[in-house]
Amino acid sequence: MGPRRVVSLVLVVGITLLTSSAALPDTHWAWIAPKRPSPPEVRGSAWPRGAIDRFVLARLEHEGLSPSPEADRETLIRRLSLDLTGLPPTIEEIDGFLADRSSDAYRSLLHRLFASPRHGEHMAVTWLDAARYADTNGYNNDTPRYNWRYRDWVIGAFQRNLSYDRFVTEQLAGDLLADATLDQKIATGFNRNHNVTSEGGIIDEEYRLEYVADRVHTASTVFMGLTLRCARCHDHKFDPLSQREYYEFFAFFDQIPEKGYHKEHVGNVNPVVQAPTPEQQAELARLDEEEKRLAATAEASRESEEELRERGKAQRKLARRREELVKKVPTAMVMQDLADRRDTFFLERGAYDRPGAKVAPGVPKVLSSLQEGDPRNRLGVARWLTRPSHPLTARVCVNRLWYRVMGNGIVATLEDFGTQGARPSHPELLDWLAVELVESGWSLRHVLELIVSSATYRQSSYATPELLRVDPSNRLLARAPRFRLAAETVRDSALSVSGLLVHRLGGPSVRPYQPRGLWVEVAVRDDSYSGGPYVQDHGPDLYRRSVYTWWKRTCPPPNLSVFDAPDREFCRVRRSRTVTPLQALVLLNDPTFVEAARILAERTMREGGVDVESRAAWVFRRVTSRRAQGVETRVLVAAFRRYREAFSRDVTGAKRLLRVGETKRDPKLEATDLAAWTAVASMVLNLDESITKG
Amino acid sequence: MDILERTRIELTRRHFFSRGATGLGVAALGSLLDREARASTPAGALEAPQLTPRAKRVIFLFQSGAPSQIETFDHKPALIGRRGTELPDSIRRGQRVTGMTAGQKSFPVVPSIFPFARHGKSGAWVSSLLPHTAGIVDDLAIVKSLHTEAINHDPAISLMQTGSQQPGRPSMGAWLSYGLGSQNDDLPAFVVLISLTRGKPNPQGLLSRLWTNGFLPSHHQGVKLRSIGDPVLYLSDPPGIDRALRRDMLDGIAALNTLRASETGDATALARLEQYEMAFRMQASVPELTDLSGESQGTLDMYGPDVREPGTFAANCLLARRLAERDVRFIQLYHRGWDAHGNLPKEMAALCRETDQPAAALIRDLERRGLLDDTLVVWAGEFGRSVYSQGKLTKDNYGRDHHGRCFSVWLAGGGVRGGVSLGETDDYSYNIVRDPVHVHDLQATILHCLGIDHERLTFGYQGRRHRLTDVRGEVVERILA
Repeated sequence: MGPRRVVSLVLVVGITLLTSSAALPDTHWAWIAPKRPSPPEVRGSAWPRGAIDRFVLARLEHEGLSPSPEADRETLIRRLSLDLTGLPPTIEEIDGFLADRSSDAYRSLLHRLFASPRHGEHMAVTWLDAARYADTNGYNNDTPRYNWRYRDWVIGAFQRNLSYDRFVTEQLAGDLLADATLDQKIATGFNRNHNVTSEGGIIDEEYRLEYVADRVHTASTVFMGLTLRCARCHDHKFDPLSQREYYEFFAFFDQIPEKGYHKEHVGNVNPVVQAPTPEQQAELARLDEEEKRLAATAEASRESEEELRERGKAQRKLARRREELVKKVPTAMVMQDLADRRDTFFLERGAYDRPGAKVAPGVPKVLSSLQEGDPRNRLGVARWLTRPSHPLTARVCVNRLWYRVMGNGIVATLEDFGTQGARPSHPELLDWLAVELVESGWSLRHVLELIVSSATYRQSSYATPELLRVDPSNRLLARAPRFRLAAETVRDSALSVSGLLVHRLGGPSVRPYQPRGLWVEVAVRDDSYSGGPYVQDHGPDLYRRSVYTWWKRTCPPPNLSVFDAPDREFCRVRRSRTVTPLQALVLLNDPTFVEAARILAERTMREGGVDVESRAAWVFRRVTSRRAQGVETRVLVAAFRRYREAFSRDVTGAKRLLRVGETKRDPKLEATDLAAWTAVASMVLNLDESITKG
Repeated sequence: MDILERTRIELTRRHFFSRGATGLGVAALGSLLDREARASTPAGALEAPQLTPRAKRVIFLFQSGAPSQIETFDHKPALIGRRGTELPDSIRRGQRVTGMTAGQKSFPVVPSIFPFARHGKSGAWVSSLLPHTAGIVDDLAIVKSLHTEAINHDPAISLMQTGSQQPGRPSMGAWLSYGLGSQNDDLPAFVVLISLTRGKPNPQGLLSRLWTNGFLPSHHQGVKLRSIGDPVLYLSDPPGIDRALRRDMLDGIAALNTLRASETGDATALARLEQYEMAFRMQASVPELTDLSGESQGTLDMYGPDVREPGTFAANCLLARRLAERDVRFIQLYHRGWDAHGNLPKEMAALCRETDQPAAALIRDLERRGLLDDTLVVWAGEFGRSVYSQGKLTKDNYGRDHHGRCFSVWLAGGGVRGGVSLGETDDYSYNIVRDPVHVHDLQATILHCLGIDHERLTFGYQGRRHRLTDVRGEVVERILA
């Protein structure tokens, strides 16, 4: 046996040992609570800004690589704005940041972005995928529901940096907290976002149990990265999760007074609570006070007949106002537990009609146990999950934060931390961040700030030929990530740079432009089964952020789903990132984007200076957040000249282009010029760079 | 000199390609395009066929709402004398029925109101509702023993199309797009056609889930070819932008993207550029596809009078043939309205009128063009219908509830033996007595015809390797050529 054979034999043995120890289920890294590792020593001590960078750099040094230089400031402000608010910076914001040479310019930018109401809206999107939030009930009839108070709760929770342990607890068990507030009850809509059927002829119990199962699958995926659902019909084939444990966990979510069949077809599904908005609550309080005041005057003094009449009139008026207001008050779908516990059974092969032994509520043992004082209900689950000793909650949470800005999870399989999931690329970093999250009081913003302040994050995203060869998918992070924006950000950015975007926080979902007949093709035609056709909104609601777009599960918004937005039929923690011809068609031809180009063109003509060169430079910078190079401006200028010439030969065509979308055009701007700038603006909106974070 | 020419001179893609680049050679970058990032990879996940493929593509004529087997292919002469008698317990065996008839006090059996006759050399029984289908029976493999666990539309359709009753799995077309890739650079690999039913005013809903990519990358999702508005969503350029202007804009975008890619080293920008080119080609290929003006009168007549009206089943069957000619991998048609809980005689007659002639014409048309040899055509609903009447049974009217224990489907073309009939049900068309075929078996068979071992076309997600047939499925050898 020559030396080479020996080496390879040793390798084989080593690999076998490695893989078999990885496969030993109860010693799997993710079942053991994270401890804070000390950041490793690194040779390049000048580069790290904090612990994150030392973990990253140690790995790079081990691979013989070095980090990329810091990105320029224009790139940084674009990157931060997109990551923290889902919108690109304005030119004024860029100039302000470029001019701010103070040492804490970066930090103050961060804090301004965190404080923006746009931050909560942006953070909410990913969670709403995970929480499978939508505006319809799903399944065959897919009728409307109006549970947007939950969506607004999520936005608000991110905005006020609700600590993650509270975030988890209120959504899982807000109703079980002492003196639960309306907001905390609304939060429990998390467990009600699943599909509900109103298909005639279904077997009630079959579907009721399906809903319970959906809660189990969702909770285990989003909070624990656990594929507990594999244990519904048999013991998990790979992870130490038994079928019995599945049904023990199931028992927590099986206590809600609900039916499988949604008898009313349309609208929110019981149990619900009246959920007046803060404005409505204030108005109701005012009415209460007014009524009390009137009643008090009646008691305090003897009224003349006229006074009596006047008071009666005033009271009737108040009653009418109240009645009108109450009609508008939305409801929210919430969790409740039955007063008398429903028995939960082990289901043979997972079949609804094959109940076996009765089971008591419990949690998967491999992850740690409930403690003595923990109530045996959802609140107990929340306490168990948010205990620092839980091996998964904090890791899964920081991994998701990492994913949203870095484009990849430290554990690439966000949905599976089990033995079949991907091994962490930086295991110690993951644990360090997890402990940091817990010790910061579960502050998501704290961890996010650490990540986006790191030198790792601040690198340039340019790839050298060597990096492309050694690490094409950038797992080692020797450069900043570069990837396409999420569907919502693609649309919101276009609306934002054109100035069309309407900033209004919360409220009922809206129905922007959508091609004719999409719902009709698939929907049941009887309105009592389908909730009616798509009726497009007009005015400001056409230009709201995409998080407010009406989400029909069986026919999701087409210009978002083409950019990989999921249908929200079930929990999703990761979106694919594809490049397709249909995306090109949306960006080029969807009236949303054509109108955005048209209004952006108007701004270009008004704000971009007087000559063609400065306008071309302005529109490029407005969209991409950087100054165009000479050659780039020349391409746009030459294009503009050709298009103006073409449109001057076809003024009717120009005018037709300028009628796309409902926003009236500025009549002061000359049609041929405006049409040509519209075409140029559309080109810029279609650049890869415009829909990419780099 | 036209606009296009001038652009080319000023700045062309080639200019950038040849100039090399500031950071990285664009040509070198192009070679780094990873497959994941590209929509129209010529090759799929399967490097080579696992078995000898008999078909290259599938046309699935999905009859949503569930056509009755009793009025189409499952001839039950023994029922004629038992009209109105109670369904024997020995047949029902306490099996579950839907919530719609579970409360019925009586379950009176009802034979088909439409007579049956034998057709073709094979002598297959076909009802009088399907005269055109009767004319092609020797091309068909009729399976009378398909069965499913689902008894409601939503789970049953999902099972038929995705292999699972619950949402979340990729549909059959997405699996094939993923496994085999595209054969056409100008059209998507998986195309969906939904016909606008006239036979029933209020059909069951459809769900985008049926053509979903599930956990596969989303470019494997089915692309709808629509009869309302643009055939493909957002296909038309906005008013005022003509082809030359569009070409010019795309050249500009390409130039700027290429320049940028050479600086950033990001191959995605080049992938996007390719996709813009495909979008541009689709803007020509799709209208050319949907333009039926080149079809001969003889061909149009074959499909019947509806063919001239976009969105009808007939028009969609003709489009399906045109898609097959263009080598689209999976062509999924939906026709809705078969859910005849009451008024079955009238509704079935109307739906068969809409669908019988076009479906048969499609087979003949494919055959005479030599396409039937490598095109697999499947006609199926999501379950069957009950032998007992739902609602009142009168002299000339009755309804039928859902029935999952047996139903009839047919297959034709690539890989399938014509003129065979498989499976047998009891005298009540209630239980299968011979050769049961589960939905997963049908799916395994379809994949088999395309050269795929259904157990080996898998995708890892959430800790396990998923496949279309879940954990079951056996190829139905007896209907294979």
